[in-house]
Amino acid sequence: MSGGDATMTARELPDLDRLRQKVIGHRLPGGDFEIADYERWLGHDAMLAPPLPDGVLHPVWIMLGALRGAGVDTHELVGLAEARPEDGVLFGETTLEQHVPLRSGVRYTVTGEVTDLTRRVGRRAGTMDLFTFELSIHAPDGALAAVSRQTFIIMRSGGAR
Amino acid sequence: MSRELRPGDVLPETRFQVETGPMKVFSLLMADPNPIHFDPDFVARLGRGDRPINQGTLNIAYLLNAVISWLGEPAAVARVRRFTCRFADSVYAGDEVIAGGRVTEVGEEGATMELWLDRAGAGRALSGTALIAPP
Repeated sequence: MSGGDATMTARELPDLDRLRQKVIGHRLPGGDFEIADYERWLGHDAMLAPPLPDGVLHPVWIMLGALRGAGVDTHELVGLAEARPEDGVLFGETTLEQHVPLRSGVRYTVTGEVTDLTRRVGRRAGTMDLFTFELSIHAPDGALAAVSRQTFIIMRSGGAR
Repeated sequence: MSRELRPGDVLPETRFQVETGPMKVFSLLMADPNPIHFDPDFVARLGRGDRPINQGTLNIAYLLNAVISWLGEPAAVARVRRFTCRFADSVYAGDEVIAGGRVTEVGEEGATMELWLDRAGAGRALSGTALIAPP
């Protein structure tokens, strides 16, 4: 779906104040994840990664692993902000913190929460909601291994930037 | 040997070719059902041309690949302590992207780098910063 009818889109927009009260501070279910070694191989091949030490995961896996262990998938995450199926969803801003490199074959636990929701209106892209959440990845001994902080852009007009 | 960074050091331009196959792999690895990454018809209905749009995670990966390679040894991946970026524009299948950057300052925690990823002939796709720990 492209831009659509502006009047209809405006009428269907969820109220920002209500949304903010609903989602900010919302604790995500969390859980755990383990990247299999064949996934490491395929992922590194797809991302054109340089050689890395055996079993060590590229820092981008912080994002992927954190999402796997969040206890909700991307669709459910943006569903918290009442994103509609036809809304385009894109990454807006990303922060990765790597305390120690992640490894394949290790089971990590994830905790997380929604930290912010703001709204912007672009001249071309229309109304966008910026949905931010933070996921912390813990090693089996409980030590903090990495943090993934993401802002998803929900294109309320149904388009993609 | 892992590279020691100094203010003003320049990350050599590194080019990557963007293709649809890796996007499909990443859609599966990420369990990401968004059709913009694999369905050209869906992209066309958005009025965005007819080429799938690359995952933001892959764009980040290209930039970090350039940094890790430049640091000089595989184990240097552990020196990437923090990375923050904003997405300025989409990257499409068939694009060539160019990673670049420079060291802006060096402190006790390590070197701060300004980084960017450009679509060849089409402007900036991603810009960000990284904190690289000392070797």
